[in-house]
Amino acid sequence: MVPQSLESAAGGHVLDTPYNEMYESAGAPRSHYRILQDRLKELGTEEIQRRQQAADLSFLQQGITFTVYGEKTGTERIFPYDVLPRIVTAAEWDVLARGMTQRITALNLFLHDLYHDAKIIADGIVPADLVYSCKHYRREMRGIDPPRGNYLTVVGTDLVRTPDGRFAVLEDNLRVPSGVSYMLSNRQVMKRVFPNIFRDYDVRPIDHYGQELLACLREVAPVSQAAARIVLLSPGIYNSAYFEHAFLARQMGIQLVEGRDLVVHDNIVYERTTAGLRRVHVIYRRIDDDFIDPMAFREDSMLGVPGLMNAYRAGNVTLANAPGTGVADDKAVYAYVPEIIRYYLKEDPIVDNVETYLMTRPAERDHALKNLDKLVVKAVGESGGYGMLIGPHSTQTQRDEFREKINAHPRNYIAQPTLSLSVAPCFLEGNIEPRHIDLRVYILFGAHARIIPGGLTRVALRKGSLVVNSSQGGGSKDTWVLNDSPDS
Amino acid sequence: MLYRIRHVTAFQYDQPIRESMMELRMRPRSDAGQRCLEFDLSTLPAAHTRSYTDHLGNVVQHFDIPGIHDRLEVTAAALVETHAAAPAPTAPDPAAWEQLDALADRAEFWDWLHPSHYAIPSERLSAFAESAGLRRDADPLTVLNNAREALHAHVRYDRGSTRVDSPIDECLEKQSGVCQDFAHAFIALARGLRIPARYVSGYLYHRTDDAEPTGHGATHAWAEAFVPHTGWIGFDPSNNTVAGDRHIRVAVGRDYKDVPPNRGVFKGAANQTMDVHVDVERARGD
Repeated sequence: MVPQSLESAAGGHVLDTPYNEMYESAGAPRSHYRILQDRLKELGTEEIQRRQQAADLSFLQQGITFTVYGEKTGTERIFPYDVLPRIVTAAEWDVLARGMTQRITALNLFLHDLYHDAKIIADGIVPADLVYSCKHYRREMRGIDPPRGNYLTVVGTDLVRTPDGRFAVLEDNLRVPSGVSYMLSNRQVMKRVFPNIFRDYDVRPIDHYGQELLACLREVAPVSQAAARIVLLSPGIYNSAYFEHAFLARQMGIQLVEGRDLVVHDNIVYERTTAGLRRVHVIYRRIDDDFIDPMAFREDSMLGVPGLMNAYRAGNVTLANAPGTGVADDKAVYAYVPEIIRYYLKEDPIVDNVETYLMTRPAERDHALKNLDKLVVKAVGESGGYGMLIGPHSTQTQRDEFREKINAHPRNYIAQPTLSLSVAPCFLEGNIEPRHIDLRVYILFGAHARIIPGGLTRVALRKGSLVVNSSQGGGSKDTWVLNDSPDS
Repeated sequence: MLYRIRHVTAFQYDQPIRESMMELRMRPRSDAGQRCLEFDLSTLPAAHTRSYTDHLGNVVQHFDIPGIHDRLEVTAAALVETHAAAPAPTAPDPAAWEQLDALADRAEFWDWLHPSHYAIPSERLSAFAESAGLRRDADPLTVLNNAREALHAHVRYDRGSTRVDSPIDECLEKQSGVCQDFAHAFIALARGLRIPARYVSGYLYHRTDDAEPTGHGATHAWAEAFVPHTGWIGFDPSNNTVAGDRHIRVAVGRDYKDVPPNRGVFKGAANQTMDVHVDVERARGD
């Protein structure tokens, strides 16, 4: 029932053999997967199937859904869940945790520098063109000092495992990263579906995420932590992540508000409540910069709060994350993150980037245009897997279209080798089959960095697919970070 | 020169509105050749006005009125002292182009060298530059003066011919425009020659014997370009002059979008009409 060998799922294209999360070699599971393999054998396919159905039902009943944009019908879906956990050892996690702390620290310093003296540009490390042509660079943020110099309160960083078994950062999400509610729900469902297997492993808890986030939000408040009144600002029910907004507000015990629930008067932000206006000190905002304040940004935004930026500038309210963080997760700026880490911290990156070709550099562009069938091309300002070309799975028409786009707007695109993402066993229609996965980890930063030991392992459910985004047919599985390897 | 300025903006709403909020860039700058000695802003209905300095050094005043109203009047009064700019060098400087190109690598000049919202290059603008012989041949100052004259000769100042957000192409095609159009076209031409250029919103003092087309009673706009050794020089293509001590600078930006004299939002399903009146008078220095 558990396959003896998991063949490459890349679908006939020449890619390196992917790293296999579970098996060291044919039939030989890695030591930390041995217990799982034994337990799955004991349970048998039918029993696993039953538990998968129980899990699906649980998600459905909880209404854990998301919205797919760009489709005419049936945009609301249940996020597909795979019952088999992905297991990360303590040693592996230790590297990731140090790497992510280093990365968020450097990116925070980078943002502060870009919005103050821009020394990194003057010193020739990052080109001025790249920063000032980025649509997410907010000139309105120049000279503003966020509390504690903290621009990034919540970060979601996507990691992949390369064929040699090392983790590498695929992209950072520094604006309004989502998905953490799936991480938390997956764990709750897992504990119910496989209580015994879960107990057999010494898995680090993640359920304190909401409390840690709340603590970070308090730490960046403009007033004393005890006095700080915190709200979660959502664009509303039509947003794809609305479920998550409600979920997190409930977990933290804070108000879930929309733009129309807040009002700014004399540079102070108030919430309209049935008991009158109540002052707000910290806003965990899940609205993009563009829409957050029609006075400062898009005038046509109906979702935001007029005057919010003025209140923010005056130091009367904290926005988490700060406006303008998107300049640092621009996919072309991403290519410079290793240099950014060296520049601010005088350290080498603990976790590397994926090799990236910048289309603004003629030699790299020529190389990419000649090899479009082998590369992945991404639009720099997009996320969620929109605006992407997967070379090996593309048609000539799609490649021609991207060639044209790249030549017309080289600043807007980057290219990366098609990564042979690692594979993990997934339970699909009664069989256990390998599928490609990645890992989004969540980093919280208030007075200091807190990395939740776990994450969202995203699965490319279609056989051979390398796209894990939920908007593009991906699913997820629970991610177990162990306190120690079971046999050490 | 000492000027007293009174800038009244009256908004009328055809239905009652509430929670109006407004941001104003009306306080004259204190830098380069001028100083703002007094400034007072009042609103009707009365509001508590606050201010901040934006990243370009412009002072922004803002206020909000929570209650129901159907009319809003903003009066900005200022006393400003201006000095004539030092005369621009007359001898052409052949090294100036290289010095300009050295600025391109500096972060603080990036915004002044690249297209912005309203100052966008176009085929029509390139054709205009071509026909006017605007290229990097003489020294930057000569070329900029040529650009000013060429625009003035080609485009007729016509108050109300275009809206403030009209693109450059429309003004070149119709051969008529308002001061914002002249300024945007000039900025795009200068940036096209890789000369840093920016937009200035402000006021112009009209002497009774001046035959300037830009009228009394309104705000004014022109452009500034950066010339090595001299610094920022104001060019007023609508009036075919170099900005001098009759030009009162209020705000600078990449183009109009950065520095509208007022922008605001309100709640209510009303249509808004706006009436602006500006008075610039000579004041006696004590």
